[in-house]
Amino acid sequence: MTKWTGELNLSLEDRAGKTVARNVYFQGAFKVMRPIYHDDSGKVCYYLLNPGGGYLDGDRYRMDITAEPDARVTLTTQGATKVYKTPKDHAYQETTMTLKAGSYLEYLPDPLIAYKDAVYRQKNVVSMESGATFLYTDILTPGWSPDGGQFAFNSVRLINEIYVDGEPAVFDNIRLSPADQKVGGLGFMEGYTHLGSMIAIGEQTTDDLIDGLHDLLAKSSGEDQVKFGISRLAVPGFSIRILARSTGRIEKMLNACHKRISEEWLGLTPASLRKY
Amino acid sequence: MTERLLALFQLCDSNLPTGSFSHSFGLETYIQDNTVTDSDSFEEWLSCYLEEQLAYTDGIACRMVFDALETGDLDTVSAIGAKLHVQNLPRETRQGTRMIGEGMLKLFSRLYDFPFLTEYARLVKEKRAVPHPAIVFAITAHGLGCSREEAVLYHFYGTVSGLIQNAVRAIPLGQTAGQMILNRIRPLLRQTAEKALTLPDEDFGLVAPGLELSQMQHERVNVRIFMS
Repeated sequence: MTKWTGELNLSLEDRAGKTVARNVYFQGAFKVMRPIYHDDSGKVCYYLLNPGGGYLDGDRYRMDITAEPDARVTLTTQGATKVYKTPKDHAYQETTMTLKAGSYLEYLPDPLIAYKDAVYRQKNVVSMESGATFLYTDILTPGWSPDGGQFAFNSVRLINEIYVDGEPAVFDNIRLSPADQKVGGLGFMEGYTHLGSMIAIGEQTTDDLIDGLHDLLAKSSGEDQVKFGISRLAVPGFSIRILARSTGRIEKMLNACHKRISEEWLGLTPASLRKY
Repeated sequence: MTERLLALFQLCDSNLPTGSFSHSFGLETYIQDNTVTDSDSFEEWLSCYLEEQLAYTDGIACRMVFDALETGDLDTVSAIGAKLHVQNLPRETRQGTRMIGEGMLKLFSRLYDFPFLTEYARLVKEKRAVPHPAIVFAITAHGLGCSREEAVLYHFYGTVSGLIQNAVRAIPLGQTAGQMILNRIRPLLRQTAEKALTLPDEDFGLVAPGLELSQMQHERVNVRIFMS
């Protein structure tokens, strides 16, 4: 059995329009702060934090989140996920999320920063019932090395598996291994340094929303040179990818999309999640 | 051997009526933004598509299908197809791949009556499997008595020679230039096929972000002669 460095179980339910925890358990180097209600909508927001300040050699983290029917929850982090060098064994995080019918779960973590010689794997497995809504973002940065070089980490892998009513809906497998990939050339990172993604699944998805988000992405890219795309998934929903040269630019673009989606799907203007 | 080789020549023909001549898999986006303009830049794209996309999708899938057929496990074959389908995030590329898979299945089922091929066609008809070119090709190659190495290599060859024909029309390149590329890319085809067979399951479906983005962006490219 795996010895977990940090563990978190969180299940949320709807009580008369307000989402509250049915069960919260955490141990080791994983913690959630007390729930925050940004407005009077009943949607709850939890901040995850890693009291250790970063992931180290051989660390194993596990999260299990359940949204019961009609629960509405935002899950985010207190700051960037930092992965330090892993000379012996990679660092790993796995998250399982279960979304019952009518629930809304958004998981919007801060960027991932992998430092020199880090190996990191992350796996998210999402099981949804139809009628649930799921929103996810991630931002992969090139990390830092002591000499200021970029892409000094060894390897970062992000896996997302999403099932709707038990059937595969999305499978996303990204790996950046700068040492054995032509990271810069045509077809791969193409000279960009940051990769942002959003995956949204909801029966409310329309072509109008996707067109609107495409325009928003173009507008919010500002003067920066970026490359982005949005496309419909095999199930009602869409994915967005952004290649850019800064975390801030991707955050601006994804935040603009998040705001539009919240307004359309929840009738809410989201509070700023940025902390500090 | 000669008999099998002749059969494979037919399956790899770039004129095979599967509908693949209508799909560029994002190449057209690069042509429209002037990234791919000639033989050299096209070859750079083609090499990347082969090494960074086909190897991790079709290549690993071919190997997994062969493994599954050893025990006659068509449920696993369908599961591989479902995963390939949902891994393909750009809508046009996902739908195009499915159409080509369907076209290939229809044609190959007319040419051969291998039991696994017939059974797979039935699963597709009952909507219990999503047809995918790599899977149809692997099942047919298995029926012809090919090894995994042959199946992956010939599937790559057929796909690449079709893409070269599309590039000849779209960039455009001369027919001779197209043949030169096909000739030059042979060592890379063999290397990539060999590598694909050794890739671990966890590499299944790895994404090349730039290629994927160009496939998403194709939906909004102004002048299009391809459906993806």
